Amino acid sequence: MSGQHSAVTIDAEYCTGCRRCAAVCPVDAIEGRQGEAQSINQQKCIMCGQCIQICSGYASSQDDFYDTPRAIKLNERNMPLNLREPLFAAYYRGDFQTVQAVLSGQRFHTIVQCAPAVRVAIAEEFGLPLGRLVPGQLAAVLRRIGFSRVYDTNFAADLTIMEEGAELVKRIKTGSTLPMFTSCCPAWVKFVEDQYPDLIAHLSSCKSPQQMAGTMFKTYGATLDQVAADKVYSVAIMPCTCKKYEAGRPEMKASGYRDVDAVLTTRELAYLIKAAGIDFRTLPEESFDNPLGLYSGAGTIFGVTGGVMEAALRTAYEILAAKPLAEPDIKRVRGETGVRHVTVDVGSMQLNTVVVAGLKNALPLLEQVRAGQADFHFMEVMTCPAGCVSGGGQPKMLLPVDTAHSHRQRTTSTYQHDAELPIRKSHENSAIQKLYREFLGEPLGHTSHQLLHTHYRSETRG
Amino acid sequence: MNNFVIADPDKCIGCRTCEVACVMAHGEHPLEQLTEENFLPRLRLVRTAKISMPIQCRQCEDAPCAQSCPEQAILQNGHSVQVTAGKCIGCKSCLLACPYGAIDLVVRPSSTGAKLNTVEALKCDLCLERTGGPACIQVCPTKALYQVEGSQMAGRLQQKRRKAAMGVVKVSGN
Repeated sequence: MSGQHSAVTIDAEYCTGCRRCAAVCPVDAIEGRQGEAQSINQQKCIMCGQCIQICSGYASSQDDFYDTPRAIKLNERNMPLNLREPLFAAYYRGDFQTVQAVLSGQRFHTIVQCAPAVRVAIAEEFGLPLGRLVPGQLAAVLRRIGFSRVYDTNFAADLTIMEEGAELVKRIKTGSTLPMFTSCCPAWVKFVEDQYPDLIAHLSSCKSPQQMAGTMFKTYGATLDQVAADKVYSVAIMPCTCKKYEAGRPEMKASGYRDVDAVLTTRELAYLIKAAGIDFRTLPEESFDNPLGLYSGAGTIFGVTGGVMEAALRTAYEILAAKPLAEPDIKRVRGETGVRHVTVDVGSMQLNTVVVAGLKNALPLLEQVRAGQADFHFMEVMTCPAGCVSGGGQPKMLLPVDTAHSHRQRTTSTYQHDAELPIRKSHENSAIQKLYREFLGEPLGHTSHQLLHTHYRSETRG
Repeated sequence: MNNFVIADPDKCIGCRTCEVACVMAHGEHPLEQLTEENFLPRLRLVRTAKISMPIQCRQCEDAPCAQSCPEQAILQNGHSVQVTAGKCIGCKSCLLACPYGAIDLVVRPSSTGAKLNTVEALKCDLCLERTGGPACIQVCPTKALYQVEGSQMAGRLQQKRRKAAMGVVKVSGN
């Protein structure tokens, strides 16, 4: 079970004390003196994994010796025992062995979902160019690894927009708590809970796409496949280390079972593919399974900063302005700047939005909200610098120059994918429409409230 | 005089990024293809309680490694000392001769068919074939590494002597 353990750790044996991780940690959770092994203050850590991405303190044969054998380290990290790549000091405890065991057994009906940012990064693990867009090969490989159903987080991103868009419109019309904050990024949510508990009411009550998908798999999805929910094992492939924590949160069992049983990072998926002996480069392109794998362009841009905002605006505009949005590209919300204010004319009103990339950039805005001086209605925050494409579970770039390049390439591919999809707006996704007709009723309705919305905790957790 | 790369221990934070960059510059491996065995930087971080800095070849003018090589696999080449990989027989003389420990011997187990291992003496080649020069210098987050141009050595010394002379002028009050 992923989640409740500390997901992100620094191995004192390999750490050289350079403290470059401390420079990228958005919550100053990394403690230690220069030149000495660092440790992570787990009270503060939001498990974004940016320290893992920047760490270059590898286990070098030049250091005098390491007390702990490599095999024990690999076990501690829950990584493949035959993994040959160098080990770095900052790491996350994975779920590789757990999922591999489930897949090789016959006990479960396994359902997998895949985050938007995985399809623009997984190819890098097989020597393909940075940011190569491979949704078709991704679906194909998940099937070959042995998942019974290959569904998609992108579908659930569309579902999130239906609920979150409706929630925003309702908050505006009823004059309840504004500005509303997005709630897709678990590190951001944990940060608000820990550091700004007085602002919890601003967080959208919507679960993240990962958790919405998990809930749908064990309810609607289980019914479609005519299997009992307790026979479903639900796996999420994520670019994120904090998603492991999110899946393990005790309240995330709306289906009556753990909605997401295990989370693998993009890198861990690559381990699974290699362990299965599959040549990723020669795979044919296949589709995700219907209906919970069908998605719009709005769903796929959730993986980049500004994407949730743009997806929400494509739907909220049509509700508020009561007319079709002619041009789905809302390029003003895109970009690399840490804080982007954009005002959108939705006919009846001017909707003020703000997009934040990189958690630290949210602090001044949170202070504004706290002081009652915020002049915006809706704020998207993604903890990682370029959004989920730059998450802590993505393929590790060894050099800083490649890091920036990889973020750009993955972002470009994400927008390209959006532009090429036949449906661009979440509410036009036919599988979403069918799900509401057959199962959920209406956005913010009773069933949605039970399954797709959550509550937050303000007490300090250990 | 030869060029060489050296680190300023006061600036070095010991992050090993230079080592990683060196491996990448000489192989272009993505992480997934790297193994502990082929992760072979040509400069090595030294860490003690008081100091951290990478150590690499000083490109000696009368290079002991080259002197000791029975196969003339290590030779002066332009403004540096270079190893000709194919000539190395793995005798380890250069490893013993180098006063800096800047040479490593890589032994790759024999591939199918071949009877013997393949070997290569590995040391800093100043990234001669890389556009942009030494990769370690480029990636260092604290700019602790720099290249000393042998041709500028005379000028550097001249400057230092001038400075020293000015110091004496101040002391004597003239």
